[in-house]
Amino acid sequence: MAQIFPKRFALWFQLFLIAVAVGFVSWAFLWRWAMADPVGIREPVEQPVPFSHKHHVGDDGIDCRYCHTSVGQSAYAGIPPLSTCMTCHSQLYTHQKVLAPLLTAFDSGVPLHWKRVYKLPDFVYFNHGIHIAKGVGCASCHGAVDQMPLMSRQQHLTMQWCLACHRDPEKHLRPRAEIFNLHWHPKNQLALGTRLMRKYQIDKRRLTDCSTCHR
Amino acid sequence: MSSMTSRENTAPVRVDPASIRARLAGQHGRRFWRSLEELADSEAFHAWLKSQHPRLAAAVPLDRRGFLKLLGASLALAGLSACSHPPETEIVPYVHKPIGQIDGLPRYFATVLTRHGYAHGVLVRDDMGRPTKVEGNPQHPASLGGTDIFAQAAILQLWDPDRSQSVMHGNTVASWDDFAGVLADRAMHFDANGGAGMRVLIGPTTSPTLIAQLAALEKRYPHARWHVHDPGDVAGRNELARHHFDRAKVIVSLDADFLSDPVAGVRHARDFIAARNPEDARQSMSRLYVVEPTPSVTGSMADHRLPLASTAIPAFAGRLAARVAAGDTSGAGSAHAHARWVNAVAKDLLAHHGASLVVAGHTQPESVHALARSMNAALGSIGETVEYTASLIATPNSGDGSLAALVEDMHAGKVDTLLMLGVNPVYDAPFDVDMIAALRRVPHTLHLGLYRDETGMLAGWHAPQAHELEAWGDARAFDGTASIAQPLIAPLYGGHSAIEVMAMLLGGAPAEGHALVRQAWRKQLDDDKAWNEALQSGVISIPPPLRGDPIRADGGEAALPLRHESERARSAMRGMAFAANPDIPPRLRRDSLRSEGGENLELLFRPDATIDYGAWSNNGWLQELPKPLTQLTWDNVVLVSPALAKKLGVQNFEGVELRSHGHSLRGPVWIMPGQAERSVTVHFGYGRKHAGRVADGQGFDAYALRTAVSPWLATDLEIVATGERYEIAQTQHHFAMDGRDPLRVGTLDEFMADPKFATAHDRYGPNPPSLYPDYPPADYAWGMSIDLNACIGCKACTIACQSENNIPVVGKAQVRRGRELHWIRVDRYYEGAAENPDSYNQPVPCMMCEHAPCEVVCPVDATVHNTEGLNVQVYNRCVGTRFCSNNCPYKVRRFNFMQYADKHTPQYKAMRNPEVTVRRRGVMEKCTYCIQRIETAHIEADKRDRRIRDGEIVTACQAACPTQAIRFGDISDKQSNVSQAKASPRNYAMLNELGTRPRTTYLARIRNPNPALKDEGS
Repeated sequence: MAQIFPKRFALWFQLFLIAVAVGFVSWAFLWRWAMADPVGIREPVEQPVPFSHKHHVGDDGIDCRYCHTSVGQSAYAGIPPLSTCMTCHSQLYTHQKVLAPLLTAFDSGVPLHWKRVYKLPDFVYFNHGIHIAKGVGCASCHGAVDQMPLMSRQQHLTMQWCLACHRDPEKHLRPRAEIFNLHWHPKNQLALGTRLMRKYQIDKRRLTDCSTCHR
Repeated sequence: MSSMTSRENTAPVRVDPASIRARLAGQHGRRFWRSLEELADSEAFHAWLKSQHPRLAAAVPLDRRGFLKLLGASLALAGLSACSHPPETEIVPYVHKPIGQIDGLPRYFATVLTRHGYAHGVLVRDDMGRPTKVEGNPQHPASLGGTDIFAQAAILQLWDPDRSQSVMHGNTVASWDDFAGVLADRAMHFDANGGAGMRVLIGPTTSPTLIAQLAALEKRYPHARWHVHDPGDVAGRNELARHHFDRAKVIVSLDADFLSDPVAGVRHARDFIAARNPEDARQSMSRLYVVEPTPSVTGSMADHRLPLASTAIPAFAGRLAARVAAGDTSGAGSAHAHARWVNAVAKDLLAHHGASLVVAGHTQPESVHALARSMNAALGSIGETVEYTASLIATPNSGDGSLAALVEDMHAGKVDTLLMLGVNPVYDAPFDVDMIAALRRVPHTLHLGLYRDETGMLAGWHAPQAHELEAWGDARAFDGTASIAQPLIAPLYGGHSAIEVMAMLLGGAPAEGHALVRQAWRKQLDDDKAWNEALQSGVISIPPPLRGDPIRADGGEAALPLRHESERARSAMRGMAFAANPDIPPRLRRDSLRSEGGENLELLFRPDATIDYGAWSNNGWLQELPKPLTQLTWDNVVLVSPALAKKLGVQNFEGVELRSHGHSLRGPVWIMPGQAERSVTVHFGYGRKHAGRVADGQGFDAYALRTAVSPWLATDLEIVATGERYEIAQTQHHFAMDGRDPLRVGTLDEFMADPKFATAHDRYGPNPPSLYPDYPPADYAWGMSIDLNACIGCKACTIACQSENNIPVVGKAQVRRGRELHWIRVDRYYEGAAENPDSYNQPVPCMMCEHAPCEVVCPVDATVHNTEGLNVQVYNRCVGTRFCSNNCPYKVRRFNFMQYADKHTPQYKAMRNPEVTVRRRGVMEKCTYCIQRIETAHIEADKRDRRIRDGEIVTACQAACPTQAIRFGDISDKQSNVSQAKASPRNYAMLNELGTRPRTTYLARIRNPNPALKDEGS
């Protein structure tokens, strides 16, 4: 049987195959890039005022709830109003250049626009209050913020990650006294977690209902 | 076949009355029908139903090849549409946080919304500074926790992007300083001449602050005058009757639609239903007779309803009054029409001395009111079931305060400056009051309005009015209870309220709403504590001036003793005694006999059921709400009786021309079962020219035929079929559960004989056999009970749900395709002959089936069962196959065929409930039992390691319901409110035979007919 295609066609065919492979790979990369979060994981987010949790929490020892006042009551932990900043900064470091936007905002009454670091989709209804009440520590999601000069996201915030804890909460629960302790490590998490599950009356069946987070 | 399939509503089916009668004659047992077409059940109707189903294909005219091309292209491009980063978002915290606010937690503020001047107490939810939902105020006498559709829709009105946004001088944008400057300039001019030529036109008001300002105006400018204009003529009712429907055993309504009364409809509904519980051992169920020309919400609740021309009602009332006055229970009546009715009703009334009530409608002449009063007096009802007091609407101390008087003076050139506060007379004045020409004769016209409407366009100056949720104010309820209205938000467009503009005119401090109201109440609420208490409770706990005289413009409230019988009632009684033997009082005889005997048609004018007199025209929620009884949306129609339609040879949606007083208008016909034969009804509120993008151009303007002399009735009507066809959206056939038995109705006697009559014919018990295993029990099992006996069909639930759950408006064209998104619909059924059928309402939310047919067919698990028995819809999983909707026997699932939710208009973004996802195109949605409220209560209870208390979760529909027909709670707790409702023998599950085991169940409707009228039809 005679060859249907001339010999030089083999080259074109090989080039075509390579093009398909390259195209596929670049499509995959493009897709990944397009769908990625604007700021990567553990990547510091620039803010209008370079607020340092490391300084305020780590060095000064200010409690989380001094600023994030509604964390136990509401779905939102609460970002402090500028008047909270001014409780100290009306006196301290008032001439520092980095604080200039804060003072200008406070004087003019035009609020600061902070960049959001932890962003969930609109159809997810996360509630800080219930997590605090049921013994999930701040560090479980936010990491050791006392070591972060600029805030960065510590977890992927994928549904799989949420469910990992909702399926096995005992792996993450801690006593209510240690919620705000950023460096708390239990000796036997499983035994403690199982005990706390009973104490906090956590109904595991409900935790994986769609309606728990989606409305 | 699914009704989600697109269906046009215009039924080109000829309704043949002969076939209807033939069918009704040959049937056994109960038969409910929803439309005349269905009742006729002709071959043509079935053919039409079948032919209408493939409309979806017709919507996209594609051949096979084109379809495949599009399919391929959409697959190839599908990936691209998702190509975007998650958006970068910002957090903008306060500079100073408002006191008492916890970020993310809603707060509720008590205030009042007024309808035709009267206060309706509400609690408004504030989500981080944005008012997002209205609930009733349980402490307010006009609400008791319930609301009407208008209170719910006030949220959309507040956020309406079509509201007036700037001061306009002619067609140029001006500032409030300019407007105030003009007012100050005019005030200076009038200071010189004592106010000659100065006129103020206001809507009806009970506001003590405004009334005090008007008194100050009269004092400062003795020649100035003020007028009240209200198309609903609530101001014209010079007497206010306080009805106690809960105390009445027999109620006779003479064309009174007291359940949708703007003054106290919500309270009436609550009281009325309180006396209609067949299971209440302490009292017997009340009985309602309604005589009316055109079907109303009240008429649909009647145990006996008599369709009677409006002009024949005075004569009917006269006969009834004569019989009542004579104390004649013999039942031997003359041979006049409706003699049996009159005798039976009179006998029933007389048998319940002191517990009967005759109510006259505000569209009836004063003679009927006098007769009603005299009957109530004769029956010993005054002081028991009814109290007559003076109207609380302010009227001027001197001079004629009517619009007609004002316009006469305007034509005569006596008016120099006209200030119009919150009124739109150019649109809603009767045609014989030539407002447009009159306005042109006034040199200075100033208009304050929520919209730059027809009047705002013509006035020299227009200024945006602050919405009631944006401004300080005060108002009184029907019983005199006063409330302070507090703003929920600063005016969105810098508007000012009527009292603030009055303050600008009067000059001097203060000029700001808060200070004005505070000052007006300085005597009664003298310190901050009293003031704050009044704000917090929403009612002022000072004895109301109910038992008093009219509140005069001087602000004085003379405390007179209760007037048991007004002077007019006494004179009517005298007249009646004089005419004891003839059936009709002499004063009425000539007039009414002619109208009863003649062949004249009568044209009735009524407010639209959902958009009232036009003030709510631009409200999409209200436009799309199917109007009670007709189930029409987005349009008004000409209601005619089946007999008249046959005479005219017209079908539904065919055009007619109405002629009266030398004027004419054209509109589509709607054949209304139960309409009095010679009565034709038109509704106000449509035919708007400058209402906004929602309302402009919809329907026809019924004011074109209205006269000031006879605002509710025209007797010189001529009606001609024009042969036009109109395209109207109505939801009558949408989501039908064909050929099944969704509704259970019995009479009180049937109920007494067999309390379980509702389930007597169920093929299976409460738990029919099922192939599916039961779900394991959890801590809670949510369920709902809907009492059909308490549902009056007002549809407040539908609007409340729309507001709570961010349900978008889809528009007329989409409704015509059956794509409306209401999560709770109210089905209306008829029973009996088309001339005067009984009507029933049935609210249908998701049934939350324990064995849900929708769940098993979803290919992506987007609709699943949760632990507590809810059938949840997961929007982010849904791919829009619509299998679930096809498999739902109750037809409660709604699909987003298009991007209905407006994602761009900033006002709508701010209006939405932040606790509920805004759905995208291509996603199925349905009732969730307000899962956001369940979860919020769950979280609060779980935080404290306690159980959720009964009554802690109130769904939006339940909260809004004026009659508490809807109850919700944990059905695993036998003590809960909902469990007790479900324990009633009237409890039944809809389509129980399908084995779906719905969590929503119904309590059967019980009617209480009079045995003496057994074979009288309805």
